[in-house]
Amino acid sequence: MNKVTENLRKTAAKLLQDKEVEMVIGYGLGSEAVRTQPVFITSPEDTEKLVWNSFCVNGLTKYLSDLKTHPGKLAVVVKGCDSRGIFRLTQDNIIPRDKIVVIGIPCAGQLSYTKLASKMDVSGQLNDVEEKGDDVVIKTTKGDFTVKKSEVLLDKCNTCEHHNPVVADHVVGDAINASPTPDSYDEIKKYEAMSTEEKAKFWLSQFERCIRCYACRNICPGCTCRECIFDAIKPDWVGKEIDVSENELFHLTRAFHLAGRCVDCGECDRVCPMDIPIRLLNKKLLKECKELFNMETPGSVEEGGSVIGQYRLEDPEEFM
Amino acid sequence: MKRLLEYVGYDPGRFNARWISGSEGQKWADTTKDMTEKLKALGPNKRFSK
Repeated sequence: MNKVTENLRKTAAKLLQDKEVEMVIGYGLGSEAVRTQPVFITSPEDTEKLVWNSFCVNGLTKYLSDLKTHPGKLAVVVKGCDSRGIFRLTQDNIIPRDKIVVIGIPCAGQLSYTKLASKMDVSGQLNDVEEKGDDVVIKTTKGDFTVKKSEVLLDKCNTCEHHNPVVADHVVGDAINASPTPDSYDEIKKYEAMSTEEKAKFWLSQFERCIRCYACRNICPGCTCRECIFDAIKPDWVGKEIDVSENELFHLTRAFHLAGRCVDCGECDRVCPMDIPIRLLNKKLLKECKELFNMETPGSVEEGGSVIGQYRLEDPEEFM
Repeated sequence: MKRLLEYVGYDPGRFNARWISGSEGQKWADTTKDMTEKLKALGPNKRFSK
């Protein structure tokens, strides 16, 4: 068991013992060491189920919105990227700040199971993950494998603005000194540079595959409307059928509802069962908002206005 | 919005936003004429249709 897990369990047990919180939302082991899943802990004894390793890819902040009517306080485990979601929820008045206890874990980057599977034999049972400097050792029933972390890092972790959580009532683990590597938006620029026809072809082929499962909406800390436009039947703003134009309308509307609000946690991309690069839409709008309004990534600070919800004299007025 | 539509492959001329006051009749007329001509040249939008 690594040190962070140990401290995490201790912190969580104390919070529950002192009755400071009623529930701790964290990571627990799934079927294998490299598969973690969200766990909801309500008693100090159960904190043994909490774990921390390089495969805690899920963002857990959205559960705070789902559990906002839960009596008592909630503790949630966050990484740097997820922590911006906390401020998204508090700024949107979804849950008051004093109802949440944030357990922040500094994170050097999470690893991708898919990439791992291309580097080693994953057919055995993967029992343990151990980090050794720049390498990660995976112990399996078919032997131990050592893989370079940089080779299996999640794509989103190659650029990281906050290794250390932007908000934390309790920090578990040592702060990470690595300098942040904000996104240079090179990937977005690549898509912008395509011709109108190429863009249309690329995006329609993506929208075509959408099965409208709404996983991207459900995981998003910015998608918290009590009545969602995509659920509304009367009026039927967006058709419910799976059809390329309705799907496109869904994705563009969703992206636009998050303009200047998206905290760039990348969860929409991760949860999409059809591998639609949803984040490219959100990132495009993030890039534009940053360029036009000199905005920082939403959720980086506790008090932040929304660029679309406020007026400043120096705002560009391209449409005048 | 305009930038997002261009990003997913709409012709830049297809979506326009202009601020025109109620007292600017001439500007309104000129803008709509201009937009209509450009849109006619582009032809009907095949996306968002069934």
